[in-house]
Amino acid sequence: MNEILRLLPEHIKQAVRTQVMNKWDQLEEIRLRLNRPVELNYHHKMEWISDSQFTAKDSVYVLNQLSDHSLYRMEDELREGYITVSGGHRVGLAGEVITVNGKLKQLQHITFFNIRIAKEIKNVATPFINYLHDSHTYYNTLIIGAPQTGKTTFIRDIARLISDGEATVFSKKVGIIDERSEIAASMDGVPQHNVGGRTDVMDACPKVAGMMMMIRSMSPEVLIVDEIGKEEDVIALMEAVFAGVTVICTIHGNTMEELMKRPSVSILLKNQVFKRIIMLQKKNATYFNLEIRDECGRNITSSMVKKQ
Amino acid sequence: MWKKYYFEYGEKTMKWIGAILLVSTTSWIGFDMSKKLTERPKQIRLLIQSLQMLETEMGYSQLTLQQTFQNISKKVPYPLDQFYERLAHKLSGIVIDFLTIWDEELSKFVQTSALKQTEHEVMKQFGRNLGQHTFLQQQKYIKLTIHHLQRELDDAMEERRKYEKMMKSLGVLIGLLIVLLLF
Repeated sequence: MNEILRLLPEHIKQAVRTQVMNKWDQLEEIRLRLNRPVELNYHHKMEWISDSQFTAKDSVYVLNQLSDHSLYRMEDELREGYITVSGGHRVGLAGEVITVNGKLKQLQHITFFNIRIAKEIKNVATPFINYLHDSHTYYNTLIIGAPQTGKTTFIRDIARLISDGEATVFSKKVGIIDERSEIAASMDGVPQHNVGGRTDVMDACPKVAGMMMMIRSMSPEVLIVDEIGKEEDVIALMEAVFAGVTVICTIHGNTMEELMKRPSVSILLKNQVFKRIIMLQKKNATYFNLEIRDECGRNITSSMVKKQ
Repeated sequence: MWKKYYFEYGEKTMKWIGAILLVSTTSWIGFDMSKKLTERPKQIRLLIQSLQMLETEMGYSQLTLQQTFQNISKKVPYPLDQFYERLAHKLSGIVIDFLTIWDEELSKFVQTSALKQTEHEVMKQFGRNLGQHTFLQQQKYIKLTIHHLQRELDDAMEERRKYEKMMKSLGVLIGLLIVLLLF
């Protein structure tokens, strides 16, 4: 937790420490807003730290700690609105936006911080990995889920399992195109999450360019991509599949039927590019529904997964 | 024995010794002041160079301030290298307030250098904006600071041209003058 506490000014650090006590493992977010008390979000509830005030001086402090006193390096991050810190934690930013010709240029006067605490949940994918391969290759796999259903956690664990290999799982070279720096949470190009020993990561790289670049340069056997959706993503994905690389990717959505309505994505499903489709649905605060289907939409297995 | 010696030759000898000491002291002061005049433009020039390095490292290598200072400290001569090295060292620990570190190290540096209050002030202002802006803004601040320093450099050169030789001779001459008055 020191990676997170070091970001906070002394008085808030103390307040957070006393308030959280032994609930660190349940803490999901620390939210800081200018001239307002600090908000803590746990799995099931939220709390205010009522006697804490987040002042303008504090926000400068947090920003300095986030950037290592070098804000000039953070131009891309300020445009994207988040900064990844060591440990894979993610700090979301909001404030005043500066636009040039209607295009977003950067954030200024950052007054809202959302420190999202990253948790690696290892082995979530272990019980299911054997559904994703035959005797010698992995299947092209699509993971469908709404936001906050653990798609990224799941795909990260799949990357780790395929890369490291285990008793019944054979190991392959893995390439991750981490456009939003969520899978590996790289910092200066170094993954902060365990994504496996045979994994190469192209961080903050646009998917379309990244997939071909990775195939040309790093010869991966399995390509991991998150959040496909745009038409050019789909074209690039098809190219990768035709190049003989296994592609495992995630997509926003609730059901297969819903995805069929999206023209760009429906091509993939109609052509049965993906031999396995994993669907994640939030059941309640702690449990997820997980269903694996084959390329024709037939159910192979379904089960409940606990969040932690 | 020494009493006798003193009464025979002492008074004169002592006077001479005193006179020599006095003249050498004032000459030394004069030389020192002229040396500072020679050093100041050199050091301002180095400071400008180091800021140009800072700009390059910030823009093209995308390094943190700490790494940037570390790199610069290896490329500049004494006493500027010490300044950057101490900054890099202090930034590698837990930093509560960058400004206090900057001001503290800057004062230390200015004391060991030939720089004057004006340069101190320019650099102090520069510290206020260091690391607080995006690259383009940062670049403007660096350019502005270099511009200010350039003006100081011109001043320093002018001063050196005018007073460098004068200081040396003035030291000796003042020494001689006092000696003559005292004799």
